[in-house]
Amino acid sequence: MINNKPRIAIYDFTDCEGCETKLVSLREKLLLLEKKVDIVNWRLGQEYFEAGPYDITIIEGAPITRHEVDLLKELRENSKILIALGACAALGGIPAIMPEKDRKYWYEKIYTSQYAPRGIDAVPLSAYVKVDFSIHGCPIDENEAVRAVEELLAGKTPSYRGYSVCFECKQAGNPCRLLENKPCLGPITQGGCGAICVSGGSPCYGCFGIRDEANIPALRKILEKFADEKEIERYFSMFHSRTEDFNKNKEK
Amino acid sequence: MMLVINDKNLEVFIEKLKEKFDFFDIRNDKLPFKKYFFPPVQEIFTRNPLSKSKTSDLKTAKTPAKFVLFGLNLPQLEALTQLDEIMQKPNEDFFYFQNRKQSIVIGLIDVEIDAMPGGDIIFQKIGEGKYKVWAENAKSKQIIKENKVFFEEIEDEEIESARSFELSEGAEWSKTMRELLADSENLANAVAWSHGHKIWDELAEKCLGCGICTYVCPLCHCFSIEDRVGLDDKCSRCRKWDSCVLPSFSRIAGGHSFRPTIKERYYNWFYHKFVRAYREFGKSQCVGCGACKKNCPAGIDIQEILKTILEDYKKVMSDV
Repeated sequence: MINNKPRIAIYDFTDCEGCETKLVSLREKLLLLEKKVDIVNWRLGQEYFEAGPYDITIIEGAPITRHEVDLLKELRENSKILIALGACAALGGIPAIMPEKDRKYWYEKIYTSQYAPRGIDAVPLSAYVKVDFSIHGCPIDENEAVRAVEELLAGKTPSYRGYSVCFECKQAGNPCRLLENKPCLGPITQGGCGAICVSGGSPCYGCFGIRDEANIPALRKILEKFADEKEIERYFSMFHSRTEDFNKNKEK
Repeated sequence: MMLVINDKNLEVFIEKLKEKFDFFDIRNDKLPFKKYFFPPVQEIFTRNPLSKSKTSDLKTAKTPAKFVLFGLNLPQLEALTQLDEIMQKPNEDFFYFQNRKQSIVIGLIDVEIDAMPGGDIIFQKIGEGKYKVWAENAKSKQIIKENKVFFEEIEDEEIESARSFELSEGAEWSKTMRELLADSENLANAVAWSHGHKIWDELAEKCLGCGICTYVCPLCHCFSIEDRVGLDDKCSRCRKWDSCVLPSFSRIAGGHSFRPTIKERYYNWFYHKFVRAYREFGKSQCVGCGACKKNCPAGIDIQEILKTILEDYKKVMSDV
């Protein structure tokens, strides 16, 4: 499927670069990776770049400006495999929290009416192009990123975690937040994060993406017992307001 | 004559055990004791085919040092005996018994028993600060012999009434559950009959499919296998707990799913526990410990489900 030593490009759109920083934090493992692949284009990580086509293009961030949207389409055409890196690329993430219709009001309030916005909208990569795989998280778990690359190198299609955050949360020894009437999206969210947020005392906001066939309406019913509609909406809109999965379930 | 130990000596005895063995008090664990024998995630072997080393490049999971599991209650002790039985069929599960054989299991119970339900040593509360000691196998007798200063032999009559203890949390639920489980044949027939029952539709709306019930169940033992080829060329095979309520568990190569809806998957959990287990082992794979009910974020109570099914099954049967 891909060359013996695949050519990889890593791009970033609108985001905080935290997920790329997680890649850098692989440290020695990055050197191992460098033996298996050629990273030929990575603005954040190195000083030289080669033009496409690429075997694998990894993109972090949400495509927000016209330039980013055009570049995304061009990268898709020039890449055998396109991977979304992190919540902004995979789900729209933090930039997508605000609905498009509210933007004008806040532009004026924050930047005055003189501000000429360049942003079109904040949506996941998949709103514009076909995405072959998403490495989820805000930020990503670097070992999950390695796993995806390993699977590609082994000639497999990378796989999503089929279990919920709950599996890892129980292993971490955390008491269940929902049983304590505290909001949590863990049961409907894909694992892979090691339940890092819940272990740290925070709710799960679902940054690892909705798990396969998750029962979102059932979770909503549980949340309704101790949270009002507005609060529930706030939890879901942190990462999911612009995803098809979520909006489809909302209509039910 | 019976062997007893008091509170204070029990504490010292535990300290002695801690000096000699790895010691795990399971009473506050979030996951059941099975994790010590059958870890949630276990790399069962690794090998590096590109290794230039002359010795074998195959490394299997290590045998742990001898360890003590302390604090199993009655349902947990029974579950342990049953899990051992499950793991022996059809072939002995190597990795389970590799860990299991290193263990010394100590029960702590506050109910009367006629015989040891499982484990190596059992401390049965028989009065304020007093425990009757059960130890029948060679391994446990040896440990007691080595620590005999802490134990005392008394006449049977000297026992105070064992009835005065407060029932532990969930004991009432467990009691009812164990009554239902006593007729596991009826339970098997009822659950098999209930396949088209509307209760499964209701549960499908309620169940989050998170898998917690299967993780906290001391008897659920399904797993999946994950192979990896690392960046360092190390190949590894890992086994992980899996859950029959998760869609990936029912899916086979090519993407076909045998149980495409949560309704079918949730029913399958019951089917395995109460029907298949009865047919294969002659009893339900449930000891009434209540862990699934206590930990379900959706508040699903398996006892309520079973009662509804049993009631409707009884009606149908009496109409025939």
